[in-house]
Amino acid sequence: MTKRHTIPPKPKQTMTLVKRIAAIVILLAIYTWTFTSISIKWDTIFSTRTLDNFDRIIPKFFTPAIEETGNILEMMLETIFIAYTGSLAAAILAIPLAFLCASNMVKNRYLNTIGMWILGAVRAFPEIILAILFVAAVGPNPFAGVLAIAIGSTGMLGKLYAEVIESIDMHVIEAFEASGANKLQILFYGIMPQVLPEFMSYAIYRFEIDVRASSVLGIVGAGGIGTLITFAYLNRNWEEVGMILLVIIVTVTIIDQISGAIRKRLV
Amino acid sequence: MITFENVSLVYPNGTQGLKDINIQINEGEFVVIVGLSGAGKSTFIRSINRLVTPTSGKLMVNGDNILSFKGKELRHLRKKIGMIFQSYNLVKRSTVMKNVIAGRLGYTDTWKSIFHLFSEKDRQLAYENLKRVNIESKLYSRADELSGGQQQRVSIARVLTQQPTLLLADEPVASLDPPTSHQVMKYLKQINKEDNITTIVNLHFIDMAMEYADRIIGMRDGEIVYDGPASSVSEKTFEEIYGRSIREDDIIGGEEHE
Repeated sequence: MTKRHTIPPKPKQTMTLVKRIAAIVILLAIYTWTFTSISIKWDTIFSTRTLDNFDRIIPKFFTPAIEETGNILEMMLETIFIAYTGSLAAAILAIPLAFLCASNMVKNRYLNTIGMWILGAVRAFPEIILAILFVAAVGPNPFAGVLAIAIGSTGMLGKLYAEVIESIDMHVIEAFEASGANKLQILFYGIMPQVLPEFMSYAIYRFEIDVRASSVLGIVGAGGIGTLITFAYLNRNWEEVGMILLVIIVTVTIIDQISGAIRKRLV
Repeated sequence: MITFENVSLVYPNGTQGLKDINIQINEGEFVVIVGLSGAGKSTFIRSINRLVTPTSGKLMVNGDNILSFKGKELRHLRKKIGMIFQSYNLVKRSTVMKNVIAGRLGYTDTWKSIFHLFSEKDRQLAYENLKRVNIESKLYSRADELSGGQQQRVSIARVLTQQPTLLLADEPVASLDPPTSHQVMKYLKQINKEDNITTIVNLHFIDMAMEYADRIIGMRDGEIVYDGPASSVSEKTFEEIYGRSIREDDIIGGEEHE
């Protein structure tokens, strides 16, 4: 028979307990505060009017306006072009910023931090806000959408790229230095082969996100299928909204599948 | 010829890598440096191509004090010194050929090399060196498809493509099994004899050091504690260098029989 061990009791952590109780109290307080201050009108939500509206609109989604397909597909294509051009521009713009942020490339912590700030600041804007800014700057056309997508994606891609660069095998770089290669040669022979597949994989992933993001840009006039959504919605043309949603769902699914397959082969 | 004159190296964190080293390494010698890890072997070897920079003294390579070299001068020095590493340090996603031709980068114009425009002569040289280490059949394989021993042979071919006058090898067999280790050491020895390239190798296996070296240098705590021809070295000498008795893991064994 094996000897029974007396497991030492878990040390009492009064402070942890106090912290946990405090956290729960604060959470409850925040919930109470929010629910009491936003004045939810429960009686309107569950009124017959709401049910009538649903009853009127939802069935129309399921009888989509097939006759509009040509027009919708054309705008969907424009959406994809916006996403593609935008993410391509971002995929390139992000490279120098990523090198600036990578601590194994630029050995100056202040420059790294400045790079991170730039990327962080860019990331803080939702695409739709950027789109509003660019519509004001270049007018209501797809180019505004491209700019919004490009700037919005640079923030995320730059950060991911920087992480890829920081994870490369620096011993390989040392071998190139030891052979008398200069910095530019090391970049092209030592660094690029190590990072390019990951860069491309992230860029394609970002393109996937951008197709979804650019679908709504048209709402603020930045081109793409969002424009159609706005018009159809303003005209209470729910059959057309239903058709647009269907096209978006199908397109996004197809693109996700394709990009997933490509990314699996890349890395 | 390499001459260390009162060379010391203190790392920024205060560790003393080298303590007042005075030694001369002659042309064509096959020198093996032995010592426990942390003895300063790696620092010694890396001082010669200035991957680390000694903090005092003079280090003469072919008549120049290389400690003052910077930029272009330093690259010019390094392209004539080949270096082999414990972890091979190949670009794993590039082909064997691309890895080997990279040995010519120091000789190639930056713009030409970016567009991969190496001369026919360089390409011939790369292929010839792959043949020398019997790995030419893997020319277009990706480096990460090769075994450890094959990768180390590719790294030898890369170094040969530099047409070096001096070869440094920092623990070249530490990640390999005994038969492969002997194979790699034989290639290094053969290159040393055929091309008369001065070769300095860091090892910690005593039987290997005795088998391949012309001359053995023992290091401990950043100092040279032994220097003599391999023929006059015995296990007793190693016990003195290591400062402890010889253990099983100091010996690689497994001599290759073909």
